[in-house]
Amino acid sequence: MAPTRDKFTIHSKAVVCQDVDMKGDITIGSGTIVHPKATIFAASGPIIIGSGCIIEEGAIILNRRKEVMRIGDDNLFEIGCRVECPMGNFNTVCTRARVHFTTRLSSYCVIGAGCLVVATDEEILDEFTVIYGPAAERRVWSGQGRIQEADLRRKHAEYLREMLPKFNRLRRGDGV
Amino acid sequence: MSPTLEYYCPCQSSTPHPPQPNLPSSSYSFHALHNLYFCEECDAIRCNHCVMVEVSGYYCPNCLFEVPSASVRAEKNRCRSCARNCFMCPCCSNTLTVVPSDPPDDGDGRPPPIISATGEPPFFLYCNHCRWDSAEVGITFEKPTGLAAQLQKFEDSAPEALEFERLKEHFEPYLRASPSTSGHGLGHSHSTHINPITAAASSALARDIPGVARYTPHISARSRSGRDKNSNRHEVPDYRARVEIGSTGLNLGGGAESDVDFVRHLETVEEMATLEQRWGNSWIISPRASDLKPVRIPLHSKKSKRCPSCRHILIKPEQKAQSVRYKIKLVAANYLPAISISLPHMQAALAMLRRSGRAGAEPQDGTMLAGKTYPFHLSFTNPLYDPIQVRLHVQRALPPTSPNAPPDAEKARRPPFAVTLPSAAFPIAAFAEAWEYDDDEDMFGIDDDDFDGRGGGGAGRDARGKSRTVGVLERRANVTVVGGEVMISKEARGDVKFNMLVSYTYRSDDPDPADELGTPSRTQAQNRQPEMKTFSFYTVVDLGTIIVRDASGNDTE
Ligand SMILES: [Zn+2]
Ligand SMILES: [Zn+2]
Ligand SMILES: [Zn+2]
Ligand SMILES: [Zn+2]
Ligand SMILES: [Zn+2]
Repeated sequence: MAPTRDKFTIHSKAVVCQDVDMKGDITIGSGTIVHPKATIFAASGPIIIGSGCIIEEGAIILNRRKEVMRIGDDNLFEIGCRVECPMGNFNTVCTRARVHFTTRLSSYCVIGAGCLVVATDEEILDEFTVIYGPAAERRVWSGQGRIQEADLRRKHAEYLREMLPKFNRLRRGDGV
Repeated sequence: MSPTLEYYCPCQSSTPHPPQPNLPSSSYSFHALHNLYFCEECDAIRCNHCVMVEVSGYYCPNCLFEVPSASVRAEKNRCRSCARNCFMCPCCSNTLTVVPSDPPDDGDGRPPPIISATGEPPFFLYCNHCRWDSAEVGITFEKPTGLAAQLQKFEDSAPEALEFERLKEHFEPYLRASPSTSGHGLGHSHSTHINPITAAASSALARDIPGVARYTPHISARSRSGRDKNSNRHEVPDYRARVEIGSTGLNLGGGAESDVDFVRHLETVEEMATLEQRWGNSWIISPRASDLKPVRIPLHSKKSKRCPSCRHILIKPEQKAQSVRYKIKLVAANYLPAISISLPHMQAALAMLRRSGRAGAEPQDGTMLAGKTYPFHLSFTNPLYDPIQVRLHVQRALPPTSPNAPPDAEKARRPPFAVTLPSAAFPIAAFAEAWEYDDDEDMFGIDDDDFDGRGGGGAGRDARGKSRTVGVLERRANVTVVGGEVMISKEARGDVKFNMLVSYTYRSDDPDPADELGTPSRTQAQNRQPEMKTFSFYTVVDLGTIIVRDASGNDTE
């Protein structure tokens, strides 16, 4: 198989720092923030990230599959997490959590700090699934407070869009 | 497993000598150095089994509010301080926060443009970690403050809580009468401030139980106090419970029929609350996970510890909950040399494994085989500001059997290994703050005067030639490494474990208490010349388990 060519499509309203490791065919949507030292690696198929996502330092987003890996809007990838799967909107992957490519997140899922999610078979996590604790236990969130959380996430992203460019060089897409 | 060394506290035995290390019970007498205290008054090691523990203050681990001891009992040992709301998530035991309700959702998942800063009622408790919220169990609040008081109503109306209140009322007159009667019994004991609750509890424990022999420890004089009051117990009228056990059939968790029914109809394990989730509750609660209620955070306490014989304080934390410092801290690590032990052959094996990238693998070359001899290293670190001289002895491993025992038994009792330790005393240089910052080899910028204690440094360097395994191997800063050797007999089985007596001689600043009665002139004379004192303590050394090589295995090595 021929090695995938690098092709970065970055929306003009996205904030992607220069010091981000990117390989392959990547599309980043409006208002999404990628902190320095993050890694986005479309090893096989392309990665398409929606709008309003926050990808923090040391986070790794990796597509091992040939299909397009689609990441929805307003997802938060905390420091040092590793995600190899597509997902819907408003998911939170906490610090150093790892989600393998056999899993899919729908929306409003929370993968707690340090949790490892490896499904032996293909698995789609239902909306509002929360995985937490040292044993990666699961429960279903009632959804109470999601609107306030979404509001907070928007403000978080807004602040970063304003502050990050003051201290970092930004990356622009190819020929946008 | 790497070899270990622990320190002996003689409180568990009647002799100053430690029990044989191969006895399973011996582990109870040996402790890691960091768990031990040192009483200067008695010149003795004290451990957590023998010290007297006192609570010096209660505080909430979440808001760090210091709770006066008087209100601890009234609050049932849980935080309900001030306006802060300290609750624990019943699901994951994280701290809960109070949050307002979401504004009405307009359906498209987008939040309304303005979200009011104060938030909208009803408020509820919310876990940021597992996303449990109290609305799930029907607990909501009109105001975001004073939640504990709002929840108190639920707690106080629980049948168990009411029963407990009644029990307390029932025993109240008895408890009030107790101090006067117990006062006489306690007159001779050290515990002058035993409270009525403790007295009642100890009298209950000391009660005669038919068919159970009375435990009379020969050393302990203080436990005698409770028994003198036995005459009192008949004065208490019988208590009649309001509710029969198991009759609270409506509530789950009481062990009644409804519990069985619940368990029978379980579909997933998650429906059942885990033991951990139910453990911290004061009362038996429903085993159903969906019934778990928020719990007020249990208070923590700061404790001080006293020497059991002279009652001097060994350790006392600062009163403030925020502080992690101590007002008094007489820990053994400041008095006794710290000793660590290593097996060079095992370390070499580990290093090789690490190089070959199999760090997790079992170090086969690091084990001890029967019939072989192995060197080991003991590293001594001196915590004192004066140099010390250390002498080591191996405690004779087993006491002699009776003279008419058969020779076979005598042989079986003999230790299956022989330990050689340096016989001469060896020095360890004084501790100096500066050592902490220096590299091992690189001793720059230190005046020659500071090298007083390091006179014997040359000897260590000689020993680096591999020829010597027993003796001083290395001296740097306030650390001296000595080598020993263990010879394992061919028939040996079990652990290479032996007791080692460590004696160190140091310069004493204060006069010997024994000489205090001497003439003033004599004391004067002694003060002019620093007086040397010796302190001895036992340790147990565990080098590891002897591996018996299979007779059919490769003997080519
Ligand atoms: Zn002890
Ligand atoms: Zn002790
Ligand atoms: Zn509190
Ligand atoms: Zn929780
Ligand atoms: Zn003492």
